[in-house]
Amino acid sequence: MPFVAIFLILMAAYLVINLANFQFFPRSVRQELEKIGSSITNTTLRVPAERGLIFDRDGEPLAFNIVQYRLGVSPALVADADSLSSQVAEILDIDEFEVYRKTISENIWEFVAGPISAEKGQALAALDEISLGLEEIPKRFYPQGTLAAHVIGIVLNEGLVGSLGVEGAYNDTLAGRVLDLSVSNVPFDLPEDRPAEQRGQDIVLTIDRDIQFWVESELKTAVDEYRAFRGTAIVMNPRNGDVLALANYPTMDPNNFLDVEDPSLLENAAVQETYEPGSIIQALTVASALERGAITPYWTYNDTGQLSVGGRDIWNRHFQSHGSTDAATILIRSLNAGAATISLQMGTEDFYSMMRAFGLGQATGVGLFAEDPGEVRIEGETNWNESYLGFNSFGQDMKATSMQLITAFAAIANDGVMRQPRIVRQVISEDGVEEARPTTVRRVLSAETAASMRDMLIRVVREGAPGAYMRGYTIAGKPGTAWISTAVGQEYGPHSSIVTFAGFFPAYDPEVVIFVKLDRPNEYYGYNVTPHVFRRIADRIVILLEIPNDEVRSRLEAAETDIVVAGS
Amino acid sequence: MAIFGVAILLILGGLYLSQVASFAITNRSIEDLISRRDQLKRQNEQLIGEIASFRTVPRLFERAVEIGFRPANNSDIDYILLEGYNPQRAAAPSELTARSEAGGAAPAYDETFSGWLERQFALLRDQFETFGK
Repeated sequence: MPFVAIFLILMAAYLVINLANFQFFPRSVRQELEKIGSSITNTTLRVPAERGLIFDRDGEPLAFNIVQYRLGVSPALVADADSLSSQVAEILDIDEFEVYRKTISENIWEFVAGPISAEKGQALAALDEISLGLEEIPKRFYPQGTLAAHVIGIVLNEGLVGSLGVEGAYNDTLAGRVLDLSVSNVPFDLPEDRPAEQRGQDIVLTIDRDIQFWVESELKTAVDEYRAFRGTAIVMNPRNGDVLALANYPTMDPNNFLDVEDPSLLENAAVQETYEPGSIIQALTVASALERGAITPYWTYNDTGQLSVGGRDIWNRHFQSHGSTDAATILIRSLNAGAATISLQMGTEDFYSMMRAFGLGQATGVGLFAEDPGEVRIEGETNWNESYLGFNSFGQDMKATSMQLITAFAAIANDGVMRQPRIVRQVISEDGVEEARPTTVRRVLSAETAASMRDMLIRVVREGAPGAYMRGYTIAGKPGTAWISTAVGQEYGPHSSIVTFAGFFPAYDPEVVIFVKLDRPNEYYGYNVTPHVFRRIADRIVILLEIPNDEVRSRLEAAETDIVVAGS
Repeated sequence: MAIFGVAILLILGGLYLSQVASFAITNRSIEDLISRRDQLKRQNEQLIGEIASFRTVPRLFERAVEIGFRPANNSDIDYILLEGYNPQRAAAPSELTARSEAGGAAPAYDETFSGWLERQFALLRDQFETFGK
């Protein structure tokens, strides 16, 4: 008996000594032990972050999250395979035998169907069947369908990774944080709630849903009417750089982007596609020359219809010559030889410095996925030769995006000051609303030069692009035609050009700049096509933005009164 | 004495068990509530989606045409000037308009270091000025 007592005392002493010893274990050993302990009482649960929502400038939802389900079955837990397969098949409207086959399988787990809509998922959950497992699948939903598809973008990987448009460019902001939560298995431990800060931030765009709709409608009509290959249109407020609408046609449905057969439809052509912009660039050439003092508004030259630069010949449209010609006429008649004369007069340094100042060759930073910076080769770069100075003056042998071109024209409209184009207006988080302020990129032109350009561009519309004329409003703009270069030269005839128009109104106090581009329409020259498209879009915009006509505006300025709008 | 001790132990044990059971039930009910809340939130989002789908412009446009409306043209709009009436306009372009020449022209664009520095300074000054407003 004393031996037993002594043995027990010794064992107890050993346990006490060991217990005390635990307290003095090295930190790493203690952490390891704690880890083993918590692995028994805790389960790690991966909580997907809720992606931030996207709204238009008036708060209409453009992208948000819904939940879909994936259904599986544990055959070992199925009590009545006949009844279960019948109920599941009825809810999901699928083959009953197929479900039955899975419910009697010898596997531990069988996938039954998915993705399943939330409504059907709830009906399945209501069966309260222990053998059925419903797994949530986050899904991004775009309620407006194809509207502003290229602006919004898409989400890949079951709602986790944004790609294209704002979804791609602002993926980090929208995505939030995926959390690994340690959840206790002990029933009397208080369950932890999902932390609020993991949710992604919401984004409010500068896009106006109504304007976007009309721009898309008119663009589609134009592409069909002129049997063009495709088209792009952008509407921007030159005062603050807000992109009010951006449309490409043909487009895609972000809800079903996997069904798109032509992958190029996923590209946002307005910022991702570069092309030789053609004679629309003549406006920038003339503006640059005025700014650098190479010419004045009264400058003239003798137009012979042809000019040889760096060993290559430059011809006017229809090989016409016009004799003594001023800068405005170069723009009205889109004279390539005249534009080249001006660029030669400026010299490479001034010309390319101004092209860079207009933002060509650099991404605009509008806030859209994978923006292409375009290409303007300058003296000293590989493959540049003197002929480039001539051809660049009317937009050939260079590459630009539609976004760059509208930004450049917006600078002319905004009295010479270039605003940073932007697509995001606000970012909303738990901490509040972060307002994106309009940013000035630089002053490109003096106010005087911008005013001279405005007057010239008004004449261009009146005398060279009457299709853009809109009753009651003064319009300033420039149509453009670009030939499509091939390995052996250039294409000729219908469906072989890219036509554009950039214009702003009301010309003396611009509120809107519109850019239109059609690829390979059935008319070769831009002035026959794009001004009409511009006018149709502008016709809608004056109503949607309540822009009064010139007469009312001048009376308002005189009387310092405001207006009310009434339908007749 | 021993019986009294056992009774105390039994009472304490019973109390402990009842407390643990109560904890477990409450926590289970909290878990259910959290799950129900998440479900309602999802249903709410589903409804927002459906409402948004009903409010799409093509659908509204189609419905408007059905009930006899047509898109207004520029020529349909009459502007009526009311003397002395000047409601606050939504757009307040004063802070957005281009800088006036009198306000100091922004630096001419150049790509030198000093040009860059000058632009950064102008940007900073602009931010300060807008912040002040």
